[in-house]
Amino acid sequence: MKRGLGAALLRLFTVQGSWNYERLIGTGVGVATEPLLRELGAPDSPAYRAALARSTRFFNSHPYLAGVAVGATARAEIDGVPPVMIERLRAALTGPLGSVGDRLVWAGWLPLLSALALAGIARGAGVAAVIAFLAVYNAGHVALRWWGLRSGWALGPQVALALQASWLRVAAAVIIPATACALGFALPFVVQGAGIGFHGWSRIALAGTAAGGFALLVWRPDLLSGLRLGLILVAAALVTGWVWR
Amino acid sequence: MSLDVELVLLLWGTLVGLDLVSFPQAMLARPLVAGAGAGLILGDITTGLRLGLLFELFQYDILPVGASRYPEYGPATVAAVSAAHFASGTLGLGIGAVVGLFTGMLGGLSLVVLRRSITRAVAVAAPRLEAGDAGALIRFHTGGLLRDLARAACVTGIGLALAQLARAYIQPSLTPRGEQLLAVAASAAALAAGAAGTLRIVGRGPNLRWLALGLGGGVLAAWLT
Repeated sequence: MKRGLGAALLRLFTVQGSWNYERLIGTGVGVATEPLLRELGAPDSPAYRAALARSTRFFNSHPYLAGVAVGATARAEIDGVPPVMIERLRAALTGPLGSVGDRLVWAGWLPLLSALALAGIARGAGVAAVIAFLAVYNAGHVALRWWGLRSGWALGPQVALALQASWLRVAAAVIIPATACALGFALPFVVQGAGIGFHGWSRIALAGTAAGGFALLVWRPDLLSGLRLGLILVAAALVTGWVWR
Repeated sequence: MSLDVELVLLLWGTLVGLDLVSFPQAMLARPLVAGAGAGLILGDITTGLRLGLLFELFQYDILPVGASRYPEYGPATVAAVSAAHFASGTLGLGIGAVVGLFTGMLGGLSLVVLRRSITRAVAVAAPRLEAGDAGALIRFHTGGLLRDLARAACVTGIGLALAQLARAYIQPSLTPRGEQLLAVAASAAALAAGAAGTLRIVGRGPNLRWLALGLGGGVLAAWLT
């Protein structure tokens, strides 16, 4: 079964490859589950086909934690758990796997390391900061995918226990404050780095425009995004620069 | 810039674009990484890191949860570094930002088109998927990956073409004052987006104290070093 788990892990790296508005990552989850379902019989056997069809239906979670559902549902299929229970298990996992992953990775691990890399680059660490960011981030990324798949496969329908694991709760509690601290720490270095090359009036204009832009983005996030602000400001600068020669 | 270098940039931008959602989500698509890679390809790591830092700040404005729509700054940063490579200092920063912001917007729109096209394809493939046909599932999934590959290549290609146009038409028409204005606008927008994004990530609850603590430490460290 080690080969099946290895194949499922490799396929999990493409879990969002066929993301669509109808099944979200459902088809990607089906692709990752398929090697594990081969224990049910040949690809034309009714048990295998029914299980594969179930595994490709609507599903959503954080991509790094999709392995929890892949392992758990495959184990449930092989153990002969009734289809209705498997559908319920998939539905029950959707919310927690999304929120835990978003909190842990998108709002924690990623901005934490990105902030440290930004501070490093602003202090002149150069490519070393980028390499360190990639290495540390992906060590956590791959470990999380593997842990999810292994836990799901080991626990099957009892996989909720994995989501209550002590390390996960500690990580979720610690990572957001740590990220907030790292983001705050990086900010002065980034501002200092961004100011390089600007002198006199341009430095004052930079500070004023950045402060005004920040206020607008915080005040009306429904109307203005970073991209829109950037496009408006560079368009205004181009026109002003051409007129005011 | 030679055709060979342009092709390597196209390949790198495609890889970066594919990494964003489809494969392998190893954060090659982060502007810091995409910019550093483009800088290494061009032999101009300083420009790569400077533009990477600028677009990484814009990236803070995005939380890629669920089916949210967002700009794509990975291939955009590759195109931005290509545009900025021949212009030194603040001129490169401004020209790179113009190209990168437009390419980022285009990349975001292309993701919506891609998702709609895969949604149409899943409706067609549904009977075979519901029959548990493994071959049909693998073909459908591979098709999605290939579509994203083509999308990423198109976005990067258009970005690199925009970079050529910007170098040919915008760069020569700018006065030194215009160059400064453009760089100020790009850097200010990036700083504003980065700071607002930071506040969104941290939230307005108790974690603000940790942000303030980090900020105090950062100010002290920046002042002392």
